[in-house]
Amino acid sequence: MKSEELTETDRTDEADFVFKPVRPVQSEGQAPCQLNCPCSTNIRDWIAPIAQREHTGASLREAYEEAWTRIVDHNPFPAVMGRICPHPCESGCNRIGKDGNVSVSALERFLGDWALEQKLRLPRLDRESRDESVAVVGAGPAGLSYAYQMARRGYRVKVFDWHPEAGGMLRYGVPKYRLPRSVLDAEIARITELGVELCLGVRIGTDLSLEELKADHQLLFLGLGTQQGRLMNIPGENGASVWVGTDFLERYNEGHALSLGEHLVVIGGGNTAIDVARTGRRSGARVTVLYRRQLEEMPAIDSEIRHAREEGVDFEDLATPLEISRDASGALRGLTVQRLHPGKQDDDGRHVPQAIPGDTYYLDASAVVIAISQVTDWTGLEDAESMAGAETTRQPDSRLTLGGDVLRLGIASQAIAEGRKCAEQARGEPPNSLLADKTLPTVKVDHYAGADSVNLTEALPDERLLSPDLETSHTISENEFLAEVQRCLSCGSCLGCYQCWMYCNAGSFTPLEQGGPGQYFSFDSDLCEGCGKCIELCPCGYLSPK
Amino acid sequence: MHDTKDASTKPGEQGHEKVEEEAVRILTDPGSWAKHGSGTDEEGPRSETNGDSDNWKLQPGNRVAVIGGGPAGSLFSQFLLKTMAHLDIDIDVEIYEPRDFNFCGPAGCNHCGGVVSESLIQILGTEGVVLPEEVVQRGIDSYVMHMDVGSVRIETPLQEKRIAAVYRGNGPRQSEPASIAGFDHHLISLARSAGAKVRQQMVTEVDLDEGRPRITCADGHRQTYDLLVVASGVNSALLGLIEKSGLEFKAPTAVKSFVAEFKLGAATIERSFGTSMHVFLLDIPRLQFAALIPKGEYLTLVMLGDDVDQELVESFLNAPEVRSCFPGNRPPDNACQCFPRLNLSHVRRPFADRVVFIGDSGVARLYKDGIGSAYRTAKAAANCVALHGISARDFHYHYWPACKKIAIDNLLGRCVFGFCHLLQKLRFARRSVMRMTVIEQRTEGAIPHMSSVLWDVFTGSAPYREVLFRTLHPFFLGRLIWNLLAANAWKSGRRNRELSTP
Amino acid sequence: MSDLLGRNYQPGEDIVTEGEVGDCMYVIQQGSAEVIRTEDGVATVVDTMVAGDLFGEMAILEHTVRSSTVRAVDPVRALTIDRKTFLRRIQEDPSLALSILDVMCRRVRNLDTTIAHLKHQLAELSANPEGGSPDGSPGENAP
Repeated sequence: MKSEELTETDRTDEADFVFKPVRPVQSEGQAPCQLNCPCSTNIRDWIAPIAQREHTGASLREAYEEAWTRIVDHNPFPAVMGRICPHPCESGCNRIGKDGNVSVSALERFLGDWALEQKLRLPRLDRESRDESVAVVGAGPAGLSYAYQMARRGYRVKVFDWHPEAGGMLRYGVPKYRLPRSVLDAEIARITELGVELCLGVRIGTDLSLEELKADHQLLFLGLGTQQGRLMNIPGENGASVWVGTDFLERYNEGHALSLGEHLVVIGGGNTAIDVARTGRRSGARVTVLYRRQLEEMPAIDSEIRHAREEGVDFEDLATPLEISRDASGALRGLTVQRLHPGKQDDDGRHVPQAIPGDTYYLDASAVVIAISQVTDWTGLEDAESMAGAETTRQPDSRLTLGGDVLRLGIASQAIAEGRKCAEQARGEPPNSLLADKTLPTVKVDHYAGADSVNLTEALPDERLLSPDLETSHTISENEFLAEVQRCLSCGSCLGCYQCWMYCNAGSFTPLEQGGPGQYFSFDSDLCEGCGKCIELCPCGYLSPK
Repeated sequence: MHDTKDASTKPGEQGHEKVEEEAVRILTDPGSWAKHGSGTDEEGPRSETNGDSDNWKLQPGNRVAVIGGGPAGSLFSQFLLKTMAHLDIDIDVEIYEPRDFNFCGPAGCNHCGGVVSESLIQILGTEGVVLPEEVVQRGIDSYVMHMDVGSVRIETPLQEKRIAAVYRGNGPRQSEPASIAGFDHHLISLARSAGAKVRQQMVTEVDLDEGRPRITCADGHRQTYDLLVVASGVNSALLGLIEKSGLEFKAPTAVKSFVAEFKLGAATIERSFGTSMHVFLLDIPRLQFAALIPKGEYLTLVMLGDDVDQELVESFLNAPEVRSCFPGNRPPDNACQCFPRLNLSHVRRPFADRVVFIGDSGVARLYKDGIGSAYRTAKAAANCVALHGISARDFHYHYWPACKKIAIDNLLGRCVFGFCHLLQKLRFARRSVMRMTVIEQRTEGAIPHMSSVLWDVFTGSAPYREVLFRTLHPFFLGRLIWNLLAANAWKSGRRNRELSTP
Repeated sequence: MSDLLGRNYQPGEDIVTEGEVGDCMYVIQQGSAEVIRTEDGVATVVDTMVAGDLFGEMAILEHTVRSSTVRAVDPVRALTIDRKTFLRRIQEDPSLALSILDVMCRRVRNLDTTIAHLKHQLAELSANPEGGSPDGSPGENAP
């Protein structure tokens, strides 16, 4: 700031000097983590009961239960999501610039595991049961989330899936080293305990028609994923030893042995590609990932890419296959690879790679997995296909709703959110995830004592390759959990720090008898002297200038 | 520039009589002080029944908690640790200060005008505390007294800057923290380098744990100490908590003052205010005293009076004498402002077994030099703890006298400010004071009777006793009466106006 | 520097002058100064003062004239401490005298070292009048 020099002639103001008070207003601000969460989980507010248990006098167990109950209000899979979600919430954390974001994933995972250990049951919202019955097609994250939200509102819910087991992509897409099946089974079992009936091995459209479902049920939800991988349309891709990513993972996760030979080449840069590559390493093959853009543009989760590297996966960026070559017997021999240069940035800031004419090379390979994109399999559900592109997922005159990856390919968290939103819409409730009108608070990060982020531990790469299903990362200890919980800044929500009360000369703040996370003090504006100290002292931004 | 006591000090009204009554009682019967505090009679037995005196001395490894990291707390910690090091006794001193004085604005500020008095600067110099360049926002060497009858500059007798204008935090709201260091930050750093541990935690409960003071913080941290030193000032809710804690303690009555910092820019301040503090003696109801203090890029306004409020602030800042000091004839609209409390009465008994109250939490000098009294109580308490002991009896005999001295001087100070108030009310008196000062300042070699009295009143560098006795000197009175006559004769009235120079 | 505490002295300017009557002592805030003592018309630098150092206390305590001259080496900013202020505070808080005693102790120790050093050199000179001093000149101040 340049010092503004005033000269005597600059300004001669005959108006009277008027005292300008600076007064606070107590208002809850929007926590950036929640804003960044596709599932709109109110992370700050589930951390608060634990972090502030000193104030509320709650026991550790009560605080854990309260926190867990708040999570499952949005998402019935904390133990699962604590493991597999890339946690975009963390990238919004106000603590990043200070000493690293709060490790929400580690916290969620610890609480999820704790609840499983304690065998906590999912809470119902309505005691009464309703007569309407609900059919859900697809037992993936979207379908199960919808089923859960409807069941806890008293509906009778049936979930249909053609797979022999429930879980959708969580079971048939995510490798076991990222998500042990015991965790998934336990969290699904909790949903069926609410009364949700699973009808597995039933393919809608062939075993049972959509019309039949409509006849039997009052509400219908299609929670469809994108299981069908896309090929690249290059010579040689149809034949033995070439798979699309989703098929490859599904077979592997179902326990089928796949013969990969010596060198597996994976094409793509998303999470499916990385899952395939790491799975390939566990089968003993050498693995190379070909990606057409630059490495730093890979959409896969950073820690997954790091794990893949640790396990010996090679990456070649700015490369795309032109042709898959086979010998006379049809056995796969290798690929001709085109080198690319990054190209110009498009409107989204992503580079559009361009081929470098004449710059190709040959790569030996014994197997190829194409994991570039995936789409929904509409077989038997053609009637509903037209809805996918529609503005609203629920037609006004229809009892049919659509949700899941089918709407837009995303992470599981998003699918869970779709399921919940559809359930809320079906009930005509205001969306639980509503973030309307709340502003991002000015958080004074410097006001908080420094504390290092929890040190996340992982199994060694050698151990991981030796036992393919060994979980890569570990759940943090309770002490680590309690320390990490304290790092939450409680952005925009009163955390009971007492600063306003301690330093208000006028005594405008009074501790509330029933104070708790979100509000600990009442404010009397009649007493306020307008000095604004409280606003500057308030670390979380709960107090802001009027 | 910290301490106002006013509500009960309406000179000429019944508050004034009470003060005089009390003064007479204290001066004639110092022993009455001992009887005054609640439970002082048990002081002796209380400690003696507790057995051997070693119990009441700090032992190696003992823990001392200091609540508040302002000047009193920081200086106490520093002095205690130094003396204990001389005695080869290793103790732990922990200062609880939830705020970081590196923050700009109120969050890092200890809310006062930020004037370090002439006498304190000298004593700190002797103690080896040198205020670095970045702490001193401006050295002050003169005062300009503004009255409706004119203005006069009072120069320091020495042509030397011995008053420091400092920030109590890291500068006002929106200031650039780069080159500024707060006074309190400097002192707490000195305490830290003397070995004190600073805990950035807020104390929300104080109680006794088997006779030892125990502290509980907002974050649940709880610790028992061998000695508790309360140096929290009167600007937090802490003293209220201690009142409820079961310790026999009654918080001092506090009164509102007003402090604001206006951003004017260094060059404007240099040009308009220079290295002078500007003092106003204006006939505005409820206003006792107001001063403008130049500091770096900012100008600090301090108002003391009878429950200073928004209305009084506005009527002061709209007074023509005040407006004319500002460029453009008007103070800027936006300021970093607050109404800090000043303690109006001393604590009757600022100690108990293992507990002592220092700084404003105990006793502070009337109106002026609050940091100076923080230093004096801190030093006295540190000496008492290190050399005598930590029982109520020890504090009574070795700490209380220092407080009593300040308290008695404050009573005399009330008389001094009573005169000042009278001056503000009576135009003819103002004229004569103005005339006397102007002539003294104009005449080389003149004995500065009035100037030195005003200097000492405004700077707080001499005890009020001394100031009062000087005004009672027959020579002073003689000059004053002469000027009273001269200034109010119609001809010299004009001369007086000619003499008045800002 | 003009806005800072104390008074400024230019290099070469005397802060106190030997033989003058003084009623204050000084604390150096910034810069350094030499203590110069004149004996038989010969000026000798006996000590150097830096920021935080205190001098002139002897005139306050003894009520005599200044025993040596203190001259600014580079630009010096020094604070004066009045006798009256100082003595009044010492009455209230005798421990304040400790800081003066500290200063004086350090000075006496320096003096002892210097005297021993000089005596040693004198002894060597009288034992071996032909040869010069092996280390340094006699006028050099002891560490």
